[in-house]
Amino acid sequence: MILSAKDLKKTYIDSDQRIEVLTGACLDVAAGDLICITGKSGSGKSTMLHIMGLLDAPDSGELIMEGKKIEAKSPKAPTIRNRDLGFVFQFHYLVEDLTATENVALPLLIAGQSEAKAMARAKELLCILGLSERLKRYPNQLSGGEQQRVSLARALANRPKLVLADEPTGNLDPVHSKEVWDMILSLNKGEFRQTFVIVTHDVEAAQAADRVFELVNGILIPA
Amino acid sequence: MDKLELFFFKRYLKAPKRNFFRFTFVFMVMGIVLSVGILSAGLNLFQGYESNLKSLLLDSFAHISIQSSYGELISEDELATIQKRLAKRGEIVSAIPSMEHPLMAQKGDKIRAITLRAYDFSQEFPYQKYIQDAKGELQSGEVIVGHYLAEELGLGIGDSIELNYPRFDRITPLGIHTAQNKYKIADLYRSGYYESDRSLVISTLKDARALLFLPEGYSRIELRLKDADKAGSFARAYSEVLGHDYIAIPWNLYAESLLRLVAMEKWLIFIVFSFLVLIAGINVISAVSTIIIDKRSEIAVLKSLGASPRSIKRLFAFRVGTVAILSVLIGQAFGALLSWFVEKQSFYSLKGDVYFIDTLGAKITFPNLTVVFLVASFLIFLCVMLPLRQIEKMQIIELIRHKR
Repeated sequence: MILSAKDLKKTYIDSDQRIEVLTGACLDVAAGDLICITGKSGSGKSTMLHIMGLLDAPDSGELIMEGKKIEAKSPKAPTIRNRDLGFVFQFHYLVEDLTATENVALPLLIAGQSEAKAMARAKELLCILGLSERLKRYPNQLSGGEQQRVSLARALANRPKLVLADEPTGNLDPVHSKEVWDMILSLNKGEFRQTFVIVTHDVEAAQAADRVFELVNGILIPA
Repeated sequence: MDKLELFFFKRYLKAPKRNFFRFTFVFMVMGIVLSVGILSAGLNLFQGYESNLKSLLLDSFAHISIQSSYGELISEDELATIQKRLAKRGEIVSAIPSMEHPLMAQKGDKIRAITLRAYDFSQEFPYQKYIQDAKGELQSGEVIVGHYLAEELGLGIGDSIELNYPRFDRITPLGIHTAQNKYKIADLYRSGYYESDRSLVISTLKDARALLFLPEGYSRIELRLKDADKAGSFARAYSEVLGHDYIAIPWNLYAESLLRLVAMEKWLIFIVFSFLVLIAGINVISAVSTIIIDKRSEIAVLKSLGASPRSIKRLFAFRVGTVAILSVLIGQAFGALLSWFVEKQSFYSLKGDVYFIDTLGAKITFPNLTVVFLVASFLIFLCVMLPLRQIEKMQIIELIRHKR
């Protein structure tokens, strides 16, 4: 098992109101999985993903990565995020002053790779994702779909064990949305066998996943 | 510096227009350039003032004055002995015997206290460069008068001036006897040092002795040195060489406190003007805070990719710091331009009776440039680093939620 989330609980306090977002959510992610998490707005899908990605800490519960317990507040968390996890957000979060290739090279540079190696790997990934003509473009010179594909390439840069995607198509029109979904499917089913956990509103698109869960009342229920 | 920082620094330097010339920086740059410019100009002008004043003091007075310990005149024989004893001192440029005495100058009902200095004009005269027309040797019956003194008495070249010597050793039933004599003004003395220009009258030794009822001899020997800053230590050495009959008085005994005061004022002005840089620093804090807010998503993504807050802080510090350091350098150039303009302008001059000299001058020195650069850079650096501390406290999740 790449990652196991066990009995995750998370409560937010908004004004005087306690909002129990996660009440004991569990999820096991195996290598090569393509898992989609759906649910209503505010149901806690993104919170679940953020906790699994060590971006946020649960109130209780634990995360086990390949047999070892991992925590968001641990000093090792940044290294785990860099090497073992990849993130794709609803907004691309590309660094606007860097080209597409340079953006993709960032996780590799953070990992301590040389610039030459990082740039070579970044170019390779962008070509795989069909962006060979856009290597030197800045984010504002790319379409929404292209921006999200660059973001996807960046998530894959360090060959992560798991890519966590939070509404990767939530900000795209249907054409670009399909483009990104096709890319994710090909990365999962093709030679990469990349493992994905994707949070989405798009129930129809989610049907392409191996397993689909719905977050209801703070727990994950197979859909 | 890690690979990420190096990567960003190279990108910033490769595309300076894209990374450094941003609207966010406009007011920050203007603030730094103006404040550093004013700081530099203030320091340059004070340095020029200090330098001019010192130079005029050294030109207007003997570097070391040798006098009799008992207030007596130095005879020709004694002069020869002193000159012989000091002959081997290579640091002495000239040794000129002279007389100096306080007197009164009068023209009609205007009376002024003056200092009479007398020289042997057939030999070396140390103030030749300050003589307006420099017609040549001063003749008996002629004097050179400080130009402010001439103005105050309403006199010019060719007019006559009356010098009065109240003789306290000759009190008559009618009061103190005053010796008087009239002299023709042969030339005007214009050094730029207000006190001399307002009170100095120069005559021949013969005329001075006649007016003061003194025999042959000199009231002092004026020594000028290669390095006037060492006058104090040389004066002590000469006093030992010449014995207890003579005293050697260095110039700084009279003027050092004045120069120290000027130097202190210079550094006080520097401290006060440094606060301007600090005020400009508020713009820097504001610019950096704006950039942090503007770049929240980038900070979030870099953090989520595993970059350390220290690295992210350095990226921002380098970017803003480069612009700030360039602004400091431009500010220093602006300061040099400003001080040059103040020096060259003619619509404002110093009041000599207040500031001792009447000309504004600027002097740019490497130590001053370095001090301004270091102090301004340090203050700006603090202002850059202060808001960057936020980055450490920023939670990735908060930054991501903010974008939603």
